[in-house]
Amino acid sequence: MPGAIAFEFPELYFTGLWLTIQISVFGLLGAIVIGTLVAVLRVSPIAPLRWIGAVYVEFFRNTPLVVQLFFLFLGLPLIGLRFSSDTFENIFRAAALGMGLYHGAYVAEVVRGGLLGVDRGQIEAARSLGLSYVQMLRYVQLPQTFRSVIPPLGNIGIALVKNTSLASTIGVTELLFAAEIVESRTFRAEEAFIAATLLYLALTIPLGFAVNALERRMLVAR
Amino acid sequence: MRGLTRAFALGLVLAFIGAACTGGSTTPSPTVAPSASTSTRPKFDLATYQYSLQTKGRIRIGTQEDNTPFSVKNPATGKWDGFDVAIGREIAKAIFGESDDPDKYIEYVPVTSATRIPSLTDNKVDVIIKTFTINDDRKKQIDFSDVYFSTGQRILVKKDNTSIKEAADLAGKTVCAQRGSTSEKNIATATNGAARPLLLDSYPACLLALQQGQADAISTDETILFGLAKQDPNTKLVGKYFSTEPYGIGVKKSVGGDRTGFVDFLNRTLVTIITGGTWAKFYEQYITPVSFDKKRTPDD
Repeated sequence: MPGAIAFEFPELYFTGLWLTIQISVFGLLGAIVIGTLVAVLRVSPIAPLRWIGAVYVEFFRNTPLVVQLFFLFLGLPLIGLRFSSDTFENIFRAAALGMGLYHGAYVAEVVRGGLLGVDRGQIEAARSLGLSYVQMLRYVQLPQTFRSVIPPLGNIGIALVKNTSLASTIGVTELLFAAEIVESRTFRAEEAFIAATLLYLALTIPLGFAVNALERRMLVAR
Repeated sequence: MRGLTRAFALGLVLAFIGAACTGGSTTPSPTVAPSASTSTRPKFDLATYQYSLQTKGRIRIGTQEDNTPFSVKNPATGKWDGFDVAIGREIAKAIFGESDDPDKYIEYVPVTSATRIPSLTDNKVDVIIKTFTINDDRKKQIDFSDVYFSTGQRILVKKDNTSIKEAADLAGKTVCAQRGSTSEKNIATATNGAARPLLLDSYPACLLALQQGQADAISTDETILFGLAKQDPNTKLVGKYFSTEPYGIGVKKSVGGDRTGFVDFLNRTLVTIITGGTWAKFYEQYITPVSFDKKRTPDD
């Protein structure tokens, strides 16, 4: 049975899978929070805030994730910053933060599109009713945005789950890493990576279904 | 202005052609064995591979361009140097006769760890002399000479570290090694799985982690650690070998007699190099500056 090797090395594969899930969840939450904040900056009426948002997006979107991860892992300690004195906790946090920062830039662009898609008349109506800019964002613009950006956010989420495999480059023993260790111990490369592939699919396919279901539930007639 | 651009372009083209020509001429012509008088040449049986190399007048040695202290190609002069290179020159002398410049008989072919076996089986090189560990998997594909250098896995720590002295001390410590290497497995065996392996893509990354205190030690072949210790003088090698890595000279397996007598010849030559004291001289010249020890034979 393909993937059976995962049960020969459950310690490696399933701790790896669990780490992948944790990095994905923290990374995705971070990406949504960061992305929303940056998107709000990018459409704000204050020019310097818009510039900050634009710089963020351009920087994190245009540099390789691996480079960002290495910076968080081996670059920050050079200036005395470390997420934890424990090395393995440190690389885990660096990986989760790296996922959030990098995918946050993509989320920001998607959310910005959603914010700009809200009818201008509604924004003006909210403001003329006496809502402050922040209140207008909170009650009018953002809720509509989130409904419309669910499908593209789902794409980013799936990309993020797969990109967690890059955390192996800074030593996080996630799923891909587990497969590599099994491969180097058993020389059964095909089996080792098929098992990892199946486990990734077990994460991403249900995620895709969940996004579709959520999209249907939140769908509003415009 | 246009004329100037053209002149410049022409200059570039000429420079390229010039470079190409000089590049080509450094390869020794296959048929010429210059200045070696036939009388000083060793005599070989006509059926042997060393005889056919002698007739061709050159030997193709596969080694790596950046594998200090074993083989390095000086980027400025193009000259090769190192322990493996020195062994290669002795073998060239054993085939073509005593010479002040055995390099005139040698064609150096740059290889990496991954291309060593293919370059032998595809007949791109005659010998591989490149920190080539003898093991049973490899023996299925190629032949090895006897051991000409013996090393093993050791530990690199910061100079001020006093708690790690032997492999057993790695228990509970964060130990960096390259992923996909056998080093990690050896660490696990030596500590009964009690070490915490931090596996990264390269040893320079491990060195950075060690410098920052994110790893307590790096452990792999002593030869690699020599290179790292040279790069960072604030580190030191500790402990005895806890795995053995015997290096041999790689040769293509004889198919239809096309390598007759070659491995035997290499082994005889290695014995001469070791018993004659040349080996100890090379060790002192290339290895002692980084290892600070002295050896007379590979078994020391």
